Amino acid sequence: MESRRGSVWVIAEQIDCRILSVSLQLIGHARKLADELETSVEVILLGDKIEGQTQQLFAAGADRVYLGNAPHLSFYQPEIYTEIIVKLAKERQPEIILIGSTSMGRELAPLVAARLETGLTAHSIDLLLDENKILEQRVPAYGGLLSIICPKRRPQMATIARGVFPIPELDEKRTGEIVLLDVPGEIPRRIQTLEIIREEPEGVPLESTPIVVAGGAGASDLAGWRIIAALAEALNAALGSTRPAVDEGWAGLETMIGQSGKMVSPELYIGVGLSGELQHMVGIVRAQVMVAINNDPKSPVFEQVDYGIVDDCREFIPLFIEKIKEYQGKQVTC
Amino acid sequence: MLRIVVCVKAVPDPKEASKIRIDPVTRTLARCDVPLVINPLDKNAMEAALQLKEQLGARITVLSMGPPPAGNIVRECLALGADEGILLCDQAFGGADAYATAYTLAKGIEKIGSYDLVFCGMASSDSGTEWVGPEIATFLEMPVVTRVKEIVECDGEWWKVKASLEDGYRLVQVKLPALFTVTRGLNTPRTLSFSGIVKARDREIIQWGIDELGVAEESMGLKGSPTIVSKMTNRESKRKVEIIAGTREEKAERLIQKLADAGVI
Amino acid sequence: MIDFTFTEEQEMFRKAAREFAETQVAPKVPEMEEAGKVNDEVVKALGEAEMMALTIPEEYGGLGLGYVARLIALEEISRVSVATAMMLQIFGLGIEPIIRFGNEEQKRRYLPGLAKGERLATVAVTEATGGSDPKSGRTSYKRDGDDYIINGRKCFITNSHIADTVTVLAKDEEDPEVFTAFIVEKGMEGFRPSHEEHKVGMRGCNTGELVFEHCRVPRENLLGEEGKGMRVAMAAIGEVGRGGMVGCALGLQAACLEASLKFANERILYGKPISNLQTIQNKLAEMRIDLEAGRLLGYRAAAMQDRGMRSSNEFAVAKYFTTEAAQKGAKTAVDIHGGYGCLEEYPVSRYYRDSIVLGPSAGTSDIMKVIIARWVLKPFRK
Repeated sequence: MESRRGSVWVIAEQIDCRILSVSLQLIGHARKLADELETSVEVILLGDKIEGQTQQLFAAGADRVYLGNAPHLSFYQPEIYTEIIVKLAKERQPEIILIGSTSMGRELAPLVAARLETGLTAHSIDLLLDENKILEQRVPAYGGLLSIICPKRRPQMATIARGVFPIPELDEKRTGEIVLLDVPGEIPRRIQTLEIIREEPEGVPLESTPIVVAGGAGASDLAGWRIIAALAEALNAALGSTRPAVDEGWAGLETMIGQSGKMVSPELYIGVGLSGELQHMVGIVRAQVMVAINNDPKSPVFEQVDYGIVDDCREFIPLFIEKIKEYQGKQVTC
Repeated sequence: MLRIVVCVKAVPDPKEASKIRIDPVTRTLARCDVPLVINPLDKNAMEAALQLKEQLGARITVLSMGPPPAGNIVRECLALGADEGILLCDQAFGGADAYATAYTLAKGIEKIGSYDLVFCGMASSDSGTEWVGPEIATFLEMPVVTRVKEIVECDGEWWKVKASLEDGYRLVQVKLPALFTVTRGLNTPRTLSFSGIVKARDREIIQWGIDELGVAEESMGLKGSPTIVSKMTNRESKRKVEIIAGTREEKAERLIQKLADAGVI
Repeated sequence: MIDFTFTEEQEMFRKAAREFAETQVAPKVPEMEEAGKVNDEVVKALGEAEMMALTIPEEYGGLGLGYVARLIALEEISRVSVATAMMLQIFGLGIEPIIRFGNEEQKRRYLPGLAKGERLATVAVTEATGGSDPKSGRTSYKRDGDDYIINGRKCFITNSHIADTVTVLAKDEEDPEVFTAFIVEKGMEGFRPSHEEHKVGMRGCNTGELVFEHCRVPRENLLGEEGKGMRVAMAAIGEVGRGGMVGCALGLQAACLEASLKFANERILYGKPISNLQTIQNKLAEMRIDLEAGRLLGYRAAAMQDRGMRSSNEFAVAKYFTTEAAQKGAKTAVDIHGGYGCLEEYPVSRYYRDSIVLGPSAGTSDIMKVIIARWVLKPFRK
């Protein structure tokens, strides 16, 4: 069912032959866009000995996988990855290219976009098609949402963070076409990734805990920040932060939630002393239950949560911790 | 001697940037007179260049694109120790997206002529795309390493750098001329000094517009931008808040009850 | 033409000073408060940031930027640490007599090291008998061959224990009306700092006593002309000393206002931030009024000084006004904070303690009024 419109592409990413979840999430959303555009979903997968990974791409919604399989593609090499994708895009003229907002994606996407002389957006929290079937990319900014479009040039390109879209239901019966790419051998190299070193991140990982406590500028100072950290500890929660808290040096960059940080979906989120800037809130919209503690009853954060406490967090939280401990104590004895 | 170009951007002071809001009625930006400062990560780019200058000897050219007030941040870079400051300033450059910005800066760098290294901050605090560095590199047909967190080897034609990953780093070997975008972790930027300010006092800031760059107006600014903002909307929330009232103690107890009922604690 | 705006360059100086203060000084404040001592790293940072070089002419290794620039630097540093600003202000006060009265050889010998912060300076005039009445001082000198022998004690000397170069005022042993200034260096025979004071505020700067016991000072360390020492001391204190206190006071005023604004917008009472209460608004407005007025007085006097005009009376007005305003502002800030104002975690408690020390330094408010009264009455006196 090829249409005259180009297809929707996803550049998949793999680490040690494991497909990243963000790639599957993007394929799931690409499927929706492609159905609406009456076109197909095509995925580019580059790596070494990865032919076994293609089935899950089909299961997630891909119609065709362009497979670049070679030892020198085993991990990201800027020049050759760019070269392969640009060449194929020039031949195939896709309508849309989606790339995960990972450290690879954030470098590869602009390299490809500039070569294809087209536009690229970051930080979208939603992708939809407008009345002219143009990709409308919604980016939070300035307390609202900007809709960004690339009206004239093709492809339309976007990087999307993990967690913006859910992992689609995998249909293991789905199949598709595998197109083996003619991988260039040694192209003239001016840059080479020699090695990838993985380091264990510190602290409770934000992405996998059921409770996240996040703090913002309202902590006022390090002493205030420690009170928020104590709440996280009492709840056995991961401690997240906003950009101002990182800028103040209270929290590390790896704890930042939101647009340029992490997207998390815990069961419970408690935001303390933060104003509900969309750049932060987009990272947490998928939480089940959301609570805000802020001293300003007019704070926009209260428009975005389920429960609000208007109080001075320095005074409220120590008491709250005490009550939590009482509650936890009862749970154990009952 | 190395020739280094550092690209810097004047951004609304991040400490006050939250004052900039979409006006709910006019749907345009209310800027609220937030002062312009050097984009924080561009300070790390500047510091990287200054350290190389001290270590290996270098001539540093600072390049910015922006309205005339952005000249102040170029002067600040001169005060920090840059040798030359250039502001790309023209009505025609206004409204540029990342692509058109990178194109304009690339044209500026081409006009500068010789360069071994171009430094950019990884991203700007007001848009944060990370696109400008790699796109400049593409237009100049040079290699790029983004998110550089350490320069490991800096002699000869091939340099080695570490580039941050989510869970570690890449060790990258790259041939000069190259472009690096830098992270906060690379260094601690020096602060302005009074004597630096005095030395930069009478230095000329070169201004180049479309004529000096010899570029077509339709490839610059808004006209040269593939992407446009089609609309601005206010946020809408799917949640309905319940403000928990009472004395401080009651509030704490009631909140715990709600969370227990919801089964999340 | 009266122009009340700062130049672009002056704005950049302020930015530089603020960056310096916030990154190099602010992190050391808790340590300074805890130890009640000068922090060596802060002193070193001040030197590296060329803060001692501001008023020293370029030909002697300084920056020659004058007194508005100095006031900007002091205000910004005081905003995060009054103690550090006080220490720096007294370095400047110690440097000034050498700039103004030193001979070529003395300037070449001392100023480059002082500009770099390798040498630290102070002035020693005050004695137990009083600081504002220097003639009552008892420290004396007498000729001994090519040298002079100094005997006596100086007290309430800021930087007493860290200074390498001290301008000392002493009277002729033979003639109590004759005063002479000397440059005394650390390590000179018979000269030593004795005890250190424990002040309620400005704990990060050092104040103490200097002892001269048959201290032998070579003839080349005579500063200015023999017998004209009072002029040397007064010229420095009247303009640079008072001006420096204005910088310390303005920074403290600004800090008090900032802390109060922050607290008043965060602290909830009756369901709203207390900044909604008119009584609090009144206090905030008054603090701002005092800060605006203080800046006008202080920077006007410094601008006069930069033009080579006599400005000690204008500085007396500014010193009176700003230190009074800082004391009032610190009290108001503590009041706005309520119970929190009594806690050491909140900086306003430190501001309050620091404000106490602003009063007597470089002359109490009462002395400022004496000086100002002398000024206004001058046309009526023969």
